[in-house]
Amino acid sequence: MLKRIEDWNYYELLSVERTASPDEIWEAYQAALATYRDGSLALYGLVGEAERGQVLERVQEAFQALRDPARRRDYDLALLRHAPYFPPKAAFRKSVGKLEIEEAPVRKTFWARLKRLFAKSP
Amino acid sequence: MDKRIWAIGGGKGGTGKSFVAANLGLHLASLDREVILVDADLGAPNLHTLLGIKASHPDLGDFLTNRVPALEDTAVETPFRGLRIIKGSENILFIANLNHYRKLRLLRQIRQLATRNVILDLGTGSSYNTLDFFLSANPGIVVATPEPTAIENTYLFLKSCIMRVLKLYMDHYKILELHQKMLDQIEKNSQSLYGFFKSLMETDRSYGTILYRALRGFRPCLVMNKTRDERDVLLGRSVADVARKYLLIDMKYLGAIPYDEDVHTSLRGLRPFYVDHRDSAAAKAIRQMSEELAYSIEFTLRTPPEIRLPDT
Repeated sequence: MLKRIEDWNYYELLSVERTASPDEIWEAYQAALATYRDGSLALYGLVGEAERGQVLERVQEAFQALRDPARRRDYDLALLRHAPYFPPKAAFRKSVGKLEIEEAPVRKTFWARLKRLFAKSP
Repeated sequence: MDKRIWAIGGGKGGTGKSFVAANLGLHLASLDREVILVDADLGAPNLHTLLGIKASHPDLGDFLTNRVPALEDTAVETPFRGLRIIKGSENILFIANLNHYRKLRLLRQIRQLATRNVILDLGTGSSYNTLDFFLSANPGIVVATPEPTAIENTYLFLKSCIMRVLKLYMDHYKILELHQKMLDQIEKNSQSLYGFFKSLMETDRSYGTILYRALRGFRPCLVMNKTRDERDVLLGRSVADVARKYLLIDMKYLGAIPYDEDVHTSLRGLRPFYVDHRDSAAAKAIRQMSEELAYSIEFTLRTPPEIRLPDT
């Protein structure tokens, strides 16, 4: 789904499933800290300093909320009210890449119309 | 025949694209799979040297200059069972500036090669030719090293791929006025790709959906080469995560290949690294990546959007 970084929920921000265990959340938090720390190589040439700081703040906020079971439960409930969650049914994602350029409707160009005209004529 | 075209590309030179291509080819061939390695680094070919093979004819230049009618005829046997190579041309200068017709002919014949696995070793940079070869393959593997220059150029390469994918779709749907708008927005800042899609969804939801699906269909893989410690290994994971968040692409981190001094020794001795150092950590990483990729192809990359270039 198309979302701005500011609109990501805590799980999306830490790149974990909503069913993630505390250990998985801790691990994801460490990875996110490494990604958004000051002077991080992973952001070089793509993300500016101000933006990095904002995301890091949100990462910390996300971890603080998800590490506390009571806060996490409240957050999950609020999230469910906003958007229902369907856990992945299989170990792999469903492919979305079925769009093929060849499947696109044929454009009705002048030559295509002319061809059809001749094809119909006896 | 179920054919797999692997493309090894990247934004910066010296990251080890040819090393990955050669050793991946050797690994697949060692599993009794038929493989053709294509040295598609038209400007600076040296894939044959990594395999310890001397430059000889026929080569890719002979096909591109019509001295050999079919690309298949330029695929020569190597000393390694199941592995053939289409060498790049060292004698024909300026061959890297392929015109559109020649590029299409080459792409078409690559698809027609009689083998199950074709590995394209691409050149550095983001010229249209390189991007089109990268996008025509599945999987496309980006090779980077844990250095700021390589990371910067990796993002540039990915952005160029994204622009190329979207432009191909815009060309097809005759919505070219969007192209300039997209260029203007994306050059402004990193979140602009989101901004571009957001505004497009508001003005024309159908085109927005088509282009967004096209973008999500671009699923490159990342390999971090020459890693020296755990921090370098994790950097690959971070880069893939940042690309997912800021460039809106589904990038898969295949893993890291540790730095190995023996790579240099093998190259100096004109010996293929994978053959001489099968038990090294780097060779193990290549094997692991290949297995990981085989699993991904089976389950997640199974139906990639096919991008064909227009004939004009």
